[in-house]
Amino acid sequence: MVSLEVRNGFVIDPMNGVFEVKDVFVKDGRIVESLDKPEMVVDAKGKVVVAGGIDVHAHVAGGKINMGRKMRPEEMRYPRFKSDNLRSGVGRVLLTSPAIGYEYARMGYTTVVEPAMPALYSIHTHEELDSIPIVDKMALPLFGNWHFVFKFVKNDEIEKLSNFIAWVLAKTKGFGVKVVNPCGVEAWMFHGNVYSLNDTDPLFGVSPKEVITGLISAIERLKLPHSLHIHCNLLGIPGNYEVTLETIKLTRRFENSERQVMHVTHVQFNSYAGESWKDMSSGAEFVAKEVNRNNVTVDMGQVILGHATTMTADSPFQYELFKIFKTKWSNLDVELETGSGIVPVYYSPKVRVHSLMWAIGLEIGLLVDVDKVVISTDYPNGGPFYSYPYIATLLMSEKFREEEMKRIANVERYSILPSLSEERTLEDVVKMTRVNPARILGLNDRGHLGENAKADLVIYDLPPEPNPRDYESILKALSNPSLVLKDGKIVVKEGRVVKHTWGETIWVKRDYDEELIGDELEDFFNYYTVQRDNYGVPHVRREVVLC
Amino acid sequence: MLILRPKLSFEVHVEAEITPDLAEMDLKDVLNFEVYYGKLVKRLGDLFDVETVGEGKRVILEGDFSRVKWIGKGMKDGEIVVRGDVGQHCGAYMEGGKIIVEGNADDWLGTEMRGGEIVVKGNAGNRIGCNFWGEMEGVKGGKIIVEGDVGSYVGEKMVDGYIEVGNAGDFVGTEMKGGVIVVRGNCGYVGWDMKGGEIRVGGRFDLPPSFVEENGVWRGDVNVGGKGVIRKL
Repeated sequence: MVSLEVRNGFVIDPMNGVFEVKDVFVKDGRIVESLDKPEMVVDAKGKVVVAGGIDVHAHVAGGKINMGRKMRPEEMRYPRFKSDNLRSGVGRVLLTSPAIGYEYARMGYTTVVEPAMPALYSIHTHEELDSIPIVDKMALPLFGNWHFVFKFVKNDEIEKLSNFIAWVLAKTKGFGVKVVNPCGVEAWMFHGNVYSLNDTDPLFGVSPKEVITGLISAIERLKLPHSLHIHCNLLGIPGNYEVTLETIKLTRRFENSERQVMHVTHVQFNSYAGESWKDMSSGAEFVAKEVNRNNVTVDMGQVILGHATTMTADSPFQYELFKIFKTKWSNLDVELETGSGIVPVYYSPKVRVHSLMWAIGLEIGLLVDVDKVVISTDYPNGGPFYSYPYIATLLMSEKFREEEMKRIANVERYSILPSLSEERTLEDVVKMTRVNPARILGLNDRGHLGENAKADLVIYDLPPEPNPRDYESILKALSNPSLVLKDGKIVVKEGRVVKHTWGETIWVKRDYDEELIGDELEDFFNYYTVQRDNYGVPHVRREVVLC
Repeated sequence: MLILRPKLSFEVHVEAEITPDLAEMDLKDVLNFEVYYGKLVKRLGDLFDVETVGEGKRVILEGDFSRVKWIGKGMKDGEIVVRGDVGQHCGAYMEGGKIIVEGNADDWLGTEMRGGEIVVKGNAGNRIGCNFWGEMEGVKGGKIIVEGDVGSYVGEKMVDGYIEVGNAGDFVGTEMKGGVIVVRGNCGYVGWDMKGGEIRVGGRFDLPPSFVEENGVWRGDVNVGGKGVIRKL
């Protein structure tokens, strides 16, 4: 099908200020102003029409999720998609690659970012991204504990650092810069961690503060579309909200009028007050205030009560988690670059800490300015990504939150969530799932339905201003879109995937001078298990290069 | 009451989730019940002769069922009698009722069962009363009694319930958290990483070095701070 018209739908397109009944025209996979004779007409009367959703943070591919799958065969007992015209897919929370693509499409999401790719494992990561159908994909290489970065930061060589970042993005087909527990993972190789922004890494003597500001300087110099994407220090440890505030304050010396300077990811895990697990409470209020004051964006990192698998490059934290849960676990050192760890968890509504985490995520979603926050679960750390409709409904309906809090222990004693009567509108949710992610990632061809935008389009069977007290029908409608278009092709009808397509892999290219960092590369490749010629990703299935 | 007899000698495994619920269904539905013959989807009536005899929530399996898997999967009540051998996964996820196997049973007998009773008159294979791969908890209740001998891995990650066998192979009650395992004869290593529960052995057995003797019983596994007990019958 080449052209299509969506007739009489109520279009919610906050980026272009559209909130009215309007026809949308699609031609050759793009949105166009008008069409003479559409080959197909879709009637969307009484329904809302929005752009395809964008997930800024979900670990959908790479060494970690694959290690998780190997460690947790019990996750694979749940069939999701049988063959027919699709590829088969299974999984409870850890899904197989085809199931990931289909489940995203099924809830109206068309773009996803894999936020933690060790550069050494980029070939594997891209192989897996290539097996995820329908959605468009991006991957962020990890920089925060890389010996190169430490060396350049220590010598204050920002030009070399920018060159190095551009070299890595080109080699690994990466999209931006991800930092996980800067200096902490390196310190973990020496049985330690860093506990404030001024603690130093034992090998190079640089502090998280220097690494973060050094990387931001380099990113701004390169004018990358996406800002620094940071998983802060001391994640998941009570009292860590202060480090989060300090980290956010580091952005004050930078200016950028087009986008944020820093994206603090899964901020729920970094908004804990108190001194120990026993007296842990919510620090979401302070974090939200600081986010609103600075040029910073966040995603929620909401916890979904039930099964999950934590997997992060933050290996010291994963060891702490293992000590709590005493289950099977794994921990890995990725040569000179980073580390990682995996621990299965079960978030129980009867455990105070878990229910508090659930509440803190929602506080973040309600307290942070609506154009600065994105819905996420940090899949699969906080829970499955296919619960995004559940999160959206919780944010939209106070009554639903009250109902949920009845089954979740002790929320009212440690969290301010019960006193928050704010309800996000459907337009706000569209901002939190479409507009903000597109702006945060610096992608102007998606997240809206203006002319020449990608024809990633979703129709929900909902009124434009649904009644928040009728949360059941909101949840049902958001979970089962009437229609999802990807690049102008119908991929989902009435919550069922009907077509298998392949999306694109987007990466960012910037000019670099390999000569400038030649000596360092030569030196460091003496210590890698991979030769310099073999480093990086030769090709991916369908690529789009942003120059 | 239903009597099932195989129509042919099976060349590949049959996956048939036969439970006593079949005895309460119309004969037409029973004949149409979906089973797998290798990778082919078949009807129960294609592979088995079905005979209805009298009342009662019972299913009797006559003939060679040693290649038929998943018999009694998740059954809640009623009774299954196997007059011969039975295939893998017999009584997996079982919640209640009774399975009597008059011949031998294969591997994965009573995996992750929650309740009910399984009696095997002959021998059984490996991984009796265990968890499926990866699951943190195995059998949570019920009773498995094997009058003959069994293979390795009995009652791994068992939480509650009772398992009784003749001779057993290695690794009895690995990572056990509760319940009782009785080995009437000899067996190999018992109780590695045991956190709780009790293992009783009648004959010879190998004791891991991480158990401490105390009043004629062994307690451990001290490596994991366990409070399990191993004693002689």
